[in-house]
Amino acid sequence: MKSVLIVDDTMFMRLSLKTMLEKNSFQVIGEAGNGAEAVEKYKELKPDIVTMDITMPEVDGVTALKQIREIDGKAKVVMVSAMGQEVMIRDAVMAGAKNFIVKPFTEDIVIKALSKL
Amino acid sequence: MSEDGISKEPMLEMYLFEGNQLVEQLEDIIIKCEKDKRFEMGAINEIFRIMHTVKGSSAMMMFNHIGSVAHSMEDLFFFIRANQNIQLNFARLSDLVLSGIDFIKAEMHKIEQGHAADGLGDDLIDEIKTLLTQMKKSYEDQHATPAVVSNSSPDGTKTKYYISSYKTPPEENAANIKYCVRVFFDEDCQMENIRAYMVVNNLQDIVNELYHIPADMIDNEQSADIIRDNGFLICFSTAVSYAEVESALNQTAFLRKMDINQVDHYPAEITALHRKREIVLEDTPEADRYPQSENLETSKEGDPRTSNNRQQNIISVSVAKLDMLMDIVGEIVISEAMVTKNPDLAGLQLEGFSKAARQLRKLTDELQDIVMSIRMVPVSMVFHKMNRIVRDMSKRLAKEVDLEIIGETTEVDKNIIDHLSDPLMHLIRNAMDHGLECKEERMGTGKPSIGKITLEAKNAGGDVVIIVRDDGKGLNRDKILNKARQRGLVHKPEHELTDKEVFSYILLAGFSTNEEVTEFSGRGVGMDVVTKNIEKIGGSIAIESAFGKGTEIFVKIPLTLAIIDGIEVSVGKSRYTIPTISIRESFRIDEKDVISDGDGNELIMIRGQCYPVLRIHRIFNIKNAVTTISDGIMVMIESDSKTACLFVDKLVGEQQVVVKALPRYLKKVQGIAGCTILGDGGISLILDINGILERQLS
Repeated sequence: MKSVLIVDDTMFMRLSLKTMLEKNSFQVIGEAGNGAEAVEKYKELKPDIVTMDITMPEVDGVTALKQIREIDGKAKVVMVSAMGQEVMIRDAVMAGAKNFIVKPFTEDIVIKALSKL
Repeated sequence: MSEDGISKEPMLEMYLFEGNQLVEQLEDIIIKCEKDKRFEMGAINEIFRIMHTVKGSSAMMMFNHIGSVAHSMEDLFFFIRANQNIQLNFARLSDLVLSGIDFIKAEMHKIEQGHAADGLGDDLIDEIKTLLTQMKKSYEDQHATPAVVSNSSPDGTKTKYYISSYKTPPEENAANIKYCVRVFFDEDCQMENIRAYMVVNNLQDIVNELYHIPADMIDNEQSADIIRDNGFLICFSTAVSYAEVESALNQTAFLRKMDINQVDHYPAEITALHRKREIVLEDTPEADRYPQSENLETSKEGDPRTSNNRQQNIISVSVAKLDMLMDIVGEIVISEAMVTKNPDLAGLQLEGFSKAARQLRKLTDELQDIVMSIRMVPVSMVFHKMNRIVRDMSKRLAKEVDLEIIGETTEVDKNIIDHLSDPLMHLIRNAMDHGLECKEERMGTGKPSIGKITLEAKNAGGDVVIIVRDDGKGLNRDKILNKARQRGLVHKPEHELTDKEVFSYILLAGFSTNEEVTEFSGRGVGMDVVTKNIEKIGGSIAIESAFGKGTEIFVKIPLTLAIIDGIEVSVGKSRYTIPTISIRESFRIDEKDVISDGDGNELIMIRGQCYPVLRIHRIFNIKNAVTTISDGIMVMIESDSKTACLFVDKLVGEQQVVVKALPRYLKKVQGIAGCTILGDGGISLILDINGILERQLS
């Protein structure tokens, strides 16, 4: 079972993702509400996969992605973003994001995006 | 709201909870910005982020109208954020955002009530879009260059092509095989252009050269549509095996279909492209298109809001569950008393049992305290709502008003706070509409031109007092008295009425001294509704006012409704609980100390003060009670500056009791607040001191 760290600044999104992932036998081992927390939690929990929101307070998702990749070059991070953030996603992909999901997402999409990793 | 809280889908509940919170946060920011007359970078970022989040969550829940309104506001603030030095029309911008907030709030309210979110935000979106277009236009005029952020790239002729650099010189190596691949993505994966970019990214390490159509997939958003319709065409040459090519391509997520062909020559469209056009290597800086990341850093100090960590270590729990918890804890408290004070134990010497019972008692007390504290919420949410009301009204009434908020961290029970918002809103409206004078009048009387309303909360014993204070014209005693007389409300000689009594007439139904009816506060159906609402939660209202100087309205509310400290007394075979808060002292007196006036009213003199004596057995008609004064005991009670002595048989003990409402089949009895179950399973009636004093002394 793959372990997942969910990073999003809204509880709503975290709950959505968590519900979808747990239904499909991923193990959600942690949640973080901003980029800084995400980096801390990554160090602590060493998850197999991270889902990373982009627009967050304090430290945004792309910055957090870069920091995580510095700690662990093999980190598997999937970006979660809304429409209209193409440039940010491109930056994220260049910085090593493995995949991305666009909000609003369906369970199907989420699982597809994560299962190939 | 809380009754059906559990049955609601948890996702929906979370959406509403967070959505409301965000929108309220946004409202605060806007009002603050409007006051400061400037939007700080931190605020703009925050607004952008909030709208972005609302958009995303609403889209997930399929509330598309909310989503599109949020989206248009997000766009607006995206532009403002990208062009910080732009001239802003504050009034219009704040008005628009506030209308947006109202729209979202209204829709969320509908959803909360179980209705469909059917409001159409089209007009609003149009308005926001118009403003955005205007802003863009004025920005262009100012700078005489095309807008930085726009969908269509006006300099489209200079399209850039991301083509990987040659690793090896493009010599005609026999091992180099040319491939032509067309990729199709899953239909609903979105942002096909970036997906295509990922394909290119995956191939980068194994190819010598690579061309693709559409070529400008990142910059050109239309490319997503092209890829959706025609697929993404990649042509490359590589030295690695077919299998490796296939596996590299297969890494791509959301791949629906992929045609891999080995070719001798690239198709014409590709060759045309690489002959004619300039090739730009992909390390071209892109920073100018997304100026946000740097700005985020600089904006931090400006606004403390951006650095709130409140999400950490906090979970949200449905109120219904807390209500259940509270109920159960209440039952535990009763059961604890039922066990430790069980009549079967009478006369037994049980050292171990007493020890264990003490421990149990201590723990149940703690449990109770904790549950209570969980349910406590600061009044700040309700208080900050008033900012908006003051803002809207001051605009429409053309009165400048400063709202001061004091003690917003004061906490009260969640159940109480839900009932606080409407009455407070009404009081604030009254203060603005009737209390504060218009500017000219204020200047004439030597007051500062800007009116002031203070909203204050503080703890006072077991109660919380909320004060609404204005520095307006104050209440006119004669006018109120006149009106009260016309309505036949005055039952006392007028000179005997204190100011407080006179002012309290305005709390009665159908009373208003204001002749004209305004948009905000009507004819006076208001104050009695306020009074009723406050009384419903066990509170009371008092008014103080100085003519020409201002009015103060004191709203006294209990911290909680559920548990009170009480003294158990017995009268005949019945038992009553007197709330400890209302008790001043208790004492025994002799028969001869009681003075009787001509009408049979009894009085006693304590330390030079005269107090009426109220015999509980007379009030509630109880037989077999102690009637000889020296055999019973006096309890001095006090409420709302009225004091009296209650005569009861004896004091039984002190106890925390869980308040239960009287069953519905009993008519409301003035003087009884509710009942509670005692340790021995008996029932004790909780006295409503205020009610008793009113009933007996009027």
